[in-house]
Amino acid sequence: MSKRSVHNKIKKRYSRSILALSGTALTLSSLSYADAPPTQSTVSIKSTNYQEDDLLSNEVLFGELSRYDIDVHQFQLVTPVTRNSSLQVNGSYDSLSGASPWFTSANSEGEPIVNLSGASGIYDTRRELSIGGSYYLENETVNLSIGRSTENDYNAAFINFGLTHQLNNRLTTIGVNTSISNDEIFPTDAEKFNRIKSASKRSVSTALSISHIINRFSAYQTAISVTNQKGFLSDPYKLRDVRPNSKSQYAWTNSFRIFFEKMDAALHSNYRLYHDDFGIGSHTVDFSWHQNLSTYIPFDLRFVPSIRYYTQSSANFFTNIDDFSSDPLAPQSSDYRLAAFGAISAGINFIADLNNLRITAGAERYQAKSKYSAYNVSRPSTALVRFSRISIGFDFSY
Amino acid sequence: MKEKCLNIKFKGMGSPCEITLMGSPNEEETLTALQQEVSRLEQKYSRFLKNSVLNAINASAGDPRGFTVDEETLAIFQHAAACYDQSDGLFDITAGPLNKIWDYRKAIVPDKNTIEETLQNVGFKRIAIKDRKVFLPSGMELDFGGIVKEYAADRLATIANKNSNLMGLINLGGDFAVIGSKHTKYKPWKVGISCPKRPSVAIAEIALHHGGLASSGDYLRCFELHGKRYSHLLNPVTGYPSTGWQSVSIAAPSCLLAGSIATIAMLKPLQESSDFLRDAGLAFVAVDPDGKMLTNLE
Repeated sequence: MSKRSVHNKIKKRYSRSILALSGTALTLSSLSYADAPPTQSTVSIKSTNYQEDDLLSNEVLFGELSRYDIDVHQFQLVTPVTRNSSLQVNGSYDSLSGASPWFTSANSEGEPIVNLSGASGIYDTRRELSIGGSYYLENETVNLSIGRSTENDYNAAFINFGLTHQLNNRLTTIGVNTSISNDEIFPTDAEKFNRIKSASKRSVSTALSISHIINRFSAYQTAISVTNQKGFLSDPYKLRDVRPNSKSQYAWTNSFRIFFEKMDAALHSNYRLYHDDFGIGSHTVDFSWHQNLSTYIPFDLRFVPSIRYYTQSSANFFTNIDDFSSDPLAPQSSDYRLAAFGAISAGINFIADLNNLRITAGAERYQAKSKYSAYNVSRPSTALVRFSRISIGFDFSY
Repeated sequence: MKEKCLNIKFKGMGSPCEITLMGSPNEEETLTALQQEVSRLEQKYSRFLKNSVLNAINASAGDPRGFTVDEETLAIFQHAAACYDQSDGLFDITAGPLNKIWDYRKAIVPDKNTIEETLQNVGFKRIAIKDRKVFLPSGMELDFGGIVKEYAADRLATIANKNSNLMGLINLGGDFAVIGSKHTKYKPWKVGISCPKRPSVAIAEIALHHGGLASSGDYLRCFELHGKRYSHLLNPVTGYPSTGWQSVSIAAPSCLLAGSIATIAMLKPLQESSDFLRDAGLAFVAVDPDGKMLTNLE
């Protein structure tokens, strides 16, 4: 058979078969796709135990040595509603027990020493429920959610609105997100301990993010967020804790992911720069290695070791020994979270995919120390935490 | 064409793929987007990836609750239904179980009882589609071969066409789609049609200005036993391989349409198929079992 050179001259009169098939073929080809509305419903449950290490007896003057032990149980349902919309319901139940630093004083050598809250410690539970919906347009996704959480002494109501827009052949996504939260606190035993009877605060947060797929193997995301809080920002359970009644927070986060095809693994790296007008600045760097192991075993399994370093400067009004002689209205706090310190945490996660079921199991160890700080530590806190966290989660799609 | 021409070859959907682009400074980004789209469709519809939507639908066989599909999958079903209707049941996405009993490597013809038994689990009309739910009867399974790769070529062209300066050609394992067909001042893409017996030799050339081109043939997977050729294209009505053309190539307004017509033409009996191709009104090149070429091209 010899090679023939021919040109297609398509007749303008098509057969009925062609016309019938053209209709469905054209429908398929002309579909435009929304961002990614879920096509299946997913139910997720996750339980986490967070256990702070006990303080050492030489670090404590009185009170329970055991610090917080928190169990968190989370539930999530994501389900498609219409072709372009989905519904998301989140619930969580936390139970907390233990003790937290009440005030700090000086020991006989003049070193700071912690006094923990009452001998009986604290017991509290928190319930949160939020409901939200997403609407998917060709290149935009709109999210709206509202929620409420309640504790024995704390209520919060929040609303969140987000919008993402994809451009540049869907390689780039721009997102804006705003959330507003109204919180009320009504401390227990207010009269007995001369605590404020009730107080409130409002937080408004806005974030702008840009993510870009660089190529098949790497992606970058950057985001800035501004949060303003107004109202009662102190800790009413501390003997002496006075903080300014407004706070502005600024954060810049960066995330870079790269996939190594030969190793069938991905490196996720994140950096966050933070500053607020309490005077705290911080840097966070974390890396996680996502190693696929499905080559070696008969199901999809990912092994994810991770490491994170965090360091912050202290708030302008932080003290490591409470000064009860100062102006009672002047800002002052011995909350260890306002001290200068550094923290290192390492974790490990396993993610297994078994048909419709995903199982996630993880463990993390965290240790904060003054000597890990990249900032100058003039007033080291004795109450810095060390904690362990273990979690297990199940995602079921149907 | 003097513009910078970018060409990339990669493996996707189990086939060698090639994309040629020119005419725009952001070709690299478009290429990445196109490769991602191939990957998305492969992840979604591959028979060989256990987490694909296709395998999830197959796993739902016998489930009285059915399986909810998205708009894209529903549109594929609608096209598959049109193919089934227009081919009198020959183009059937439920014919998959037949492939399992025909072993092309060992060249063994299965016994009649096995074929009869397997045919119990074949038949598109047994699938119920209600709203967005697909109800697949127990024992049946789907295979979107003959649809998804062709559809993917069209999708890629659609994505690339968002950039009005771009021109190019998509080739997903022999399924072609033209990018930038409105650039009429340029010469058409010339696509060679392979000789069924010697795939590296071109027996014809189709000049493609727009739309797509697809081929269906049994030269890559068939066997001969006692002088009879057994094609990998199985007739879902009889359970036996089709006995028509060795290969059919079609040029059409879209690659999906070309692929659907080519597959139907392969499955129809030779004479009926000749009439079907002539009436279709599309450019075609078909090669019969004796190696003779039939075409409506000049």
